[in-house]
Amino acid sequence: MAFAWARCSVLATMLVTTHAGPFDIPLFNTPLAPTAQGEARLVFAHSPFGVAVTADGHARYDVSLRVSGLPVPASLGTYSAFVAWEVSTDLSHWHRLGAVTNGQSTVGQAELDKFLLVITAEPNADVVSHTGPTVLHGTSPSGWLQSFLSHPLFRGLPP
Amino acid sequence: MRRPIRWALLATVACVSLTAGAQRPRARTKVRRAKPDSAMTPGMHDMHDMHDMSDMGMPVPMPKGMPMIPGLVGVVPPVTSFLPGAGVDVRRLPSAARTRVVRLGNGDTLDLTAGLVRRTIQGRSFVMYGFNGQVPGPLVRVPQNATITVRFHNRLDQPSAVHWHGVRLDNRSDGVPGLTQDAVAAGKDFVYTVRFPDAGIYWYHPHVREDIQQALGLFGNVRVDSPERDYYSPVNREEMLMLGDLLVNGDTLIPFGKESPTFALMGRVGNVLLVNGEPQYSLRAHQGDVVRFFLTNVSSSRTYNLSFGGAPIKIVASDASRFEREELVPSVVIAPAERYVVEARFARPGRFAVVNAVQSINHYIGEFASEVDTLGIITVDAAPAMPDYGKQFAALRVNRAVSRDVDRYRPYFDRAPDKSLTLTVATSALPLATVQFMNVDTAYFAPIEWVDGMPDMNWLSTGKQVRWILRDDATGKENMDIDWHVARNSMIRVRIFNDPKSFHPMQHPIHLHGQRMLVIARDGVLTDNFAWKDTALIPVGSTVDLLIDAANPGAWMMHCHIAEHLEAGMMAVMHVDQGAPARR
Repeated sequence: MAFAWARCSVLATMLVTTHAGPFDIPLFNTPLAPTAQGEARLVFAHSPFGVAVTADGHARYDVSLRVSGLPVPASLGTYSAFVAWEVSTDLSHWHRLGAVTNGQSTVGQAELDKFLLVITAEPNADVVSHTGPTVLHGTSPSGWLQSFLSHPLFRGLPP
Repeated sequence: MRRPIRWALLATVACVSLTAGAQRPRARTKVRRAKPDSAMTPGMHDMHDMHDMSDMGMPVPMPKGMPMIPGLVGVVPPVTSFLPGAGVDVRRLPSAARTRVVRLGNGDTLDLTAGLVRRTIQGRSFVMYGFNGQVPGPLVRVPQNATITVRFHNRLDQPSAVHWHGVRLDNRSDGVPGLTQDAVAAGKDFVYTVRFPDAGIYWYHPHVREDIQQALGLFGNVRVDSPERDYYSPVNREEMLMLGDLLVNGDTLIPFGKESPTFALMGRVGNVLLVNGEPQYSLRAHQGDVVRFFLTNVSSSRTYNLSFGGAPIKIVASDASRFEREELVPSVVIAPAERYVVEARFARPGRFAVVNAVQSINHYIGEFASEVDTLGIITVDAAPAMPDYGKQFAALRVNRAVSRDVDRYRPYFDRAPDKSLTLTVATSALPLATVQFMNVDTAYFAPIEWVDGMPDMNWLSTGKQVRWILRDDATGKENMDIDWHVARNSMIRVRIFNDPKSFHPMQHPIHLHGQRMLVIARDGVLTDNFAWKDTALIPVGSTVDLLIDAANPGAWMMHCHIAEHLEAGMMAVMHVDQGAPARR
């Protein structure tokens, strides 16, 4: 009981006072859903170490979404729900995160080093593989890592 | 403790001259504000090259496939190199012995001598340091609430002192030169009186040039035994693992900076991983054995992600207490100075590799890569465990005594922060190529830098050029200018933000001496399984809230436990003022 009380009150306090999380992902809409907008936040999943990683060292993040302006799914075709996916950057691996509605949703855990966050319209909220069109998408912060091998610094040239 | 404490004196902490016997105040008695490198002129690069660095010419080893930036080739750190035992024939030194267990009772005395030893690692012999000729130093086992006397004898070639990490002892024995004592000059002695109020696993190490002395072997564990017979679950055996690393190039240790540490940006990350000072840990066990591992990270900078060849791992305790409840974990993340007690069960015969598995970042090509280092092998034979503790291992214990203790502090969880700190860095006169690279490689910051992804730039940075900063948000004061006074027996909520927009953001394991604390929340999420801590890992970009149980009077250091960050200024003092009665 004490724990539950403390958790609620602390969260209320901290949500308004902490710095913006470092792992915020802006989401971009597609022409199919021009009014949709939102962002995702990555926070380390629960771990007694404070930093959650898999045994081989991949970071584990809880993904929460704040989305608005999603249209009625049926307006896009034979769809009844929106679903969020963690997608590898080569688009070969799609991992279902969870169903998404306008407002706030916590949708599961991401474990890829670099990934795309994609929200699609789907026939129902429980689909395990994606078939429908993308309405929102974003890139994990690690996706911004750049290659510098072609930079003058690495060719011995003046900057 | 001497009062009043003068800031000029405090600034000597952990930065005593390496000249044997000397105790000169730190060169910069008032911490300077380094000029941001974004405003640096090319002329500063030229100035950097003017130092006499003839004996620092050894290039740092680069990871396979990673080139040194052409602009850094031939550049060396602007400090004099240092390796221990100048003029000493390594063959004449005693070989470092394995750790011996020293069981002490209340009122007993331990003689602890820091001296030179010979260590042979991967077939190469080095002059290094040890306590009582051992690496790690003696494992001291004491009953909870015992008080012992430690007669410390410094037989190193430089000043030293002994800090009793995590122990809520009397302030005068905390072992911090310039704050609680003078550094113990080479050839001199000092007497510590150490009481152990809390059961658990602790450690001791120097608080003078930790980047050198600790890295070269001066560390040891203290195990404080609870009077409760079932404090831990029954296991077949117990192992103490002190995790460290060593940076070598061929037959030589990469030298240290004499006046100031090198590797000031990221800390020295070794390329040879060590368990209890050895590169190949081994253990034999029977099928079904449950082994309790007491883990201590004694590395200067490396954070580990440790696992045991797929054996299930149960987390039991951390720095200063057990957890409220045991949990199964995929691996153990342990930052410098942290301790974790875990249990693993080896259910089948075979070879189980003890590995550190991380995702490194190659900053040059902008890609992640898996890195797996094998620290040792656990060989499990087919003989059955006797007794079989499989049932006890499967049961995840709930430690109600810990929860009851924490319950007394929950009313403080929703108070506004009493103090807040921002972690950042300032630099000056770094090599131009380093500045250019760091300024363009800003699009992403890793919450944890598991490996040294830029060893050339890191090696060339010294404590003269890099100043790591704890900044008090309320006053703007930094590091040793911070002047916190709190009343004894008060609860202090400290919010720490690790600024990701600094010149070189990096995680910091923040250690508070002489007190215990709870990590009550990370990034707005309340901790749901508490253990008392003395060191908390603050990832880049994270906001971490600590609740400090300020019960132990005195002047106590709070600092980053990456040794080079400490030496580069990242430390402050919290005074817990006398006056209030001891809490019952």
